[in-house]
Amino acid sequence: MRSKVAKRILDNTTEDVKIFVRLYADIIVRVNQLLKEKGYTQKLLAEKLDKTPSEIHKWLSNEHNFTLKSLAKLQAELGSPILYVPIIKTVPSFTCHYGKATLKVYRNVEKIHINKNEEGWNGQHSLNKIKEADAA
Amino acid sequence: MNTFELKIWDDEAALCSFYTVLKDESNETETDKFFLKYENDIQYEEAAKELLSFVLLSIGDDHGALDALFNRYENEVTGLPVQGKIKLGELVYHYPNFPLRLYALKITENIVVLFNGGIKDGPSNQTSSLHMEWLEACQFARRILEAIYNTDILIDEENRKLTDCNGEDEIIL
Repeated sequence: MRSKVAKRILDNTTEDVKIFVRLYADIIVRVNQLLKEKGYTQKLLAEKLDKTPSEIHKWLSNEHNFTLKSLAKLQAELGSPILYVPIIKTVPSFTCHYGKATLKVYRNVEKIHINKNEEGWNGQHSLNKIKEADAA
Repeated sequence: MNTFELKIWDDEAALCSFYTVLKDESNETETDKFFLKYENDIQYEEAAKELLSFVLLSIGDDHGALDALFNRYENEVTGLPVQGKIKLGELVYHYPNFPLRLYALKITENIVVLFNGGIKDGPSNQTSSLHMEWLEACQFARRILEAIYNTDILIDEENRKLTDCNGEDEIIL
């Protein structure tokens, strides 16, 4: 069960608010995970980034704006992605043996998502199309 | 303090169940009272929606009750949301200035108790107008922690729920 009040307010909350809140929490969790994984103290991170410990304290507490630049510096130092933006290439729709199909190629994700509109759609054909699109 | 019931506020989120407190003489739970206060308040309506999304989506569905998503404890309870400030391109999100606080007690990473809260309009809980809500949340939390310590409340981690010492869902303290 969910509180009726909570359900009503959540239903009336716009998508952009939900997206922002989730992104905010994701960044907080990710930065904390990376610091723990890499065994960084604030002092060590300050030395690596050529900042004072108090500046780093501000970064990691509530007194600092995370800018794209500061996130990039953190990401470079910690050696793992913090913010992730999918890069998508859409292949123009084409007709294959099973009918009309469309493809979206995600260049920077491990898994390639293929949308097909017919059962038994020819995978090899799609890979050829990806190569053609990349070449173009 | 009178008796109160510890009851489920939300158990539909994917990773975390949320409990709240229903006072003996009250029709509304403490957490519902909090959100009802701001639901139609022009000044705080948006903040209430952000806070609710933070609780149900970020903690409830995405991450569970990780320490990273909770502020430091102030006596027995912590104020949500976690503090922070993020600037993405042209957009600046002023979480350090976030006006509302909802008090919470984390039991495990999958079970959290939510209380009431209010507007953080001073540098500390003691100097804000939510001082009474904070004190009351601390009292509730103390009673709950004592009951857990005395095994009057049992933590069922597998089913993400709390029960009384007989395994019943109804918990009166």
